[in-house]
Amino acid sequence: MKQTKAYLHGNGDLQKTLVVVFLRGGADGLALVPAVGDEGYHRQRPRIAISEKEAVRLDDRFGLNPLMNALKPAVEEGALTTVHCVGSEDDTRSHFEAQDLMEHGGRPGGGWLGRFLRFREQSSAGALSAVALGASVPESLRGAPSATAMRSINDFAFSGSEDFVEALQSLYREQTGVFGSRANDTFRALDRLRSLHSKDYTPANGAQYGGDRFSTNLRLAAQLIKARLGVEAITIDLGGWDTHISQGPAITPNITRLSNGLATIRRDLGAEMKNTTVVVMSEFGRRVTENSVLGTDHGRGGVMFVMGQDGSEGHTIANWPGLANEHLVGPGDLPVTTNYRDVLRPVLTRHAPDADMAKVFPDHRPEAI
Amino acid sequence: MDYDRRAFLKASSSAAFVGAAGCGQAPDALWPLTGLPEKPPTDFTPPSAGSIDLTSHVINRLTFGPTPGLRTAVLRLAKREEDAVETFIEQQLEPEKIDDRRAEHRTRIFETLKSEPIGEFYEFQPSLLREELTRATLMRAVYSERQLHEVMVRFWSDHFNIDLSKGECKWLKPADDRDVIRPNAMGKFTDLLAAATKSQAMLTYLDGRENRVHKPGDKPNENHARELLELHTLGVNGGYSQNDVMEVARCLSGWRIGRGLFQNGKVQFKPELHDSGKKLVLGQAIPARKGMDGRKDLDDVLRIVTSHTSTARHIATKLCRRFIDDEPPSAAIDAVATRFSRSDGSIPEVLRTLFHTEAFRSHRGGKFKQPMHLIASALRVTDAETDAGRPLLNFLTRMGHMPFEYPSPDGYEDAADAWQGTLLWRWNFAARLGRKQIKGTNLNRSRLAKRSGGLAKVAAHILNRKPSVEELAAVEASDNPVGLLLASPGFQWS
Repeated sequence: MKQTKAYLHGNGDLQKTLVVVFLRGGADGLALVPAVGDEGYHRQRPRIAISEKEAVRLDDRFGLNPLMNALKPAVEEGALTTVHCVGSEDDTRSHFEAQDLMEHGGRPGGGWLGRFLRFREQSSAGALSAVALGASVPESLRGAPSATAMRSINDFAFSGSEDFVEALQSLYREQTGVFGSRANDTFRALDRLRSLHSKDYTPANGAQYGGDRFSTNLRLAAQLIKARLGVEAITIDLGGWDTHISQGPAITPNITRLSNGLATIRRDLGAEMKNTTVVVMSEFGRRVTENSVLGTDHGRGGVMFVMGQDGSEGHTIANWPGLANEHLVGPGDLPVTTNYRDVLRPVLTRHAPDADMAKVFPDHRPEAI
Repeated sequence: MDYDRRAFLKASSSAAFVGAAGCGQAPDALWPLTGLPEKPPTDFTPPSAGSIDLTSHVINRLTFGPTPGLRTAVLRLAKREEDAVETFIEQQLEPEKIDDRRAEHRTRIFETLKSEPIGEFYEFQPSLLREELTRATLMRAVYSERQLHEVMVRFWSDHFNIDLSKGECKWLKPADDRDVIRPNAMGKFTDLLAAATKSQAMLTYLDGRENRVHKPGDKPNENHARELLELHTLGVNGGYSQNDVMEVARCLSGWRIGRGLFQNGKVQFKPELHDSGKKLVLGQAIPARKGMDGRKDLDDVLRIVTSHTSTARHIATKLCRRFIDDEPPSAAIDAVATRFSRSDGSIPEVLRTLFHTEAFRSHRGGKFKQPMHLIASALRVTDAETDAGRPLLNFLTRMGHMPFEYPSPDGYEDAADAWQGTLLWRWNFAARLGRKQIKGTNLNRSRLAKRSGGLAKVAAHILNRKPSVEELAAVEASDNPVGLLLASPGFQWS
């Protein structure tokens, strides 16, 4: 059996950070990434379709919603990969069931991120390795060797005073071996935590975050990444995608928030993006045809985004069946032709080559995408 | 009244209500209303030796840590320390004779855990069940008088690990904790294993319920069979083959969990899903069996594996690791394994032998506390009042040690290396507890100092020995002396 050693990097310099954005409610893939070059798309969504001219061009078939114009540089600089018709095997079309299965990474115990952090060859997950930006730790982080839910940087502070830390240092001075070096690591981490709190955070490269919750969370994420505390995984939720009625007005602010937020953190992190990957996912996509009140109902295949270093991404991946009715599944949904695990897997392996992927995604036969 | 409140909880889908729990606490001042015996805080004598004395050592290992007065009470059990410790061990080996009404009273508020029959668990929100089970677990670790029983409940909960987040385990694990682990934790290993193997939660967690053989030659689901041999009994190098795994899987086929109004959650044996052919397990033949007789295959498997010497050695090694050292000496393992075989797996007899080994007596202060142990021992040593609510439980998440959340069947690791990276949160926890900054948890620092006789005595009480000159100087200079002691190196080990 493999040893699971959780220790803390006082020196988090070599750590890569994965930011997982979960779009809760089932985000409409065809609204985020319309198949503007597919005439079936215009036929199926006569009233809410986006024209090819308006969209941010990805390839001959797909474009980004024009509301995502802020991500145009990321697309052009090869920093953003888009995956269409992606999702899980869950076909209940229930938010709870689909999120549950996706966050657990199938039916084993724990969440996929939790297992990713715990099951390592040379396990390195530290005390600050996983942070959930929100009120509670999401299911994907269940079983993590450490997980902290935080709403502000103050939730990440050390409660002891400077005197307390000094007194502790004197008490730990004599400690040797593994215990002693873990203690030293921890004192170094405390130094970094202290400097994190000592000054206001100024985003770099002129990046300006919006005032919404999602942007605030991304700003916090950037701050944690730059502080080099050994944060390996950050989860952020963006809700409000369950657009059964009046999809246009309902989804517009959310798409803008998502796109502006991602573009801003990319700018803020700058060169740090080489150690950062942002993954955007949702439990399922939505019905291809609009319903009678200009909304869309729960569907199957949706989209994922992977944002990384310039030149490392920049792909548009879709095993695209077309939008003719005979290619749709169930009540008229895009099928899932790419399993979300096959998108996550190469990202996770790049971040931690020693992660035991058979334990992260058991019961899944990986396929290259 | 219980019934009404439970009915309300079922109907309530409000998470806010869950958050408001904890109001069911009975603070000390209200104890007279419960009709339970009073337990006034008395003065006590902390240890005075420069290293951990025998009584403190035995308390450290058999319990979740000393409370103010526990050491004094143990020493009063006999004139000689040796005899007093002996009496304490014997008391703890018979938990059913220990009056534990006070702890029971505290956990009475967790209504969902009383659900009966098992199908009733399905009527609650999983988040509520998780919260109540976890809080009850921590409460019992802190307040139960049957401390060794609680320590063994944790031990077996890891040995027969079930993760709440897998499928229906979220509804079924609370029953497993109540009906499988707790009643058998200090009984016979054979009974515990039989109950765990047929537990609804285990059949779900290890896919035993999916192990179906419709016709001869169908491949059974091996998962449960493999873990039964590898983790629950013989151990990974215990001398079984892949063929044994497959044969055990055939024997275990056909166990299901019932559905429908009155069958919900009931374990059933379905002969039509059982492989009725003859089998060979670890060299012993199991005859072909027709119809309901097929269920006897399971009994045969359990008999064969529990009497195997590898099982005795596997369990003995894990127990010695828990109670003696991360690397226990082989003489101790041999003695404990032999007792396991001779006593037919009687857990109290096995533990009695372990507690009498030279290795147990001499290995003091060298087990790094798992986070749950650290938190429970800090609350015990300070005589804290806690509702075991979310602010306290968050520390377990931060240290990666929430009960029932380990994501693979082998359970949390019982070795220092796995936990030494948690110092940051240990220190945070200690600093906050010492300053009474954990909501729902309270302690009385001045009463502690008064009962023990001053700060130096408090330090000796928390460290299980006389503090060094440097330690005492640091503590006396600190504005959070209790927090500092709980965060100090000495308190991280037991």
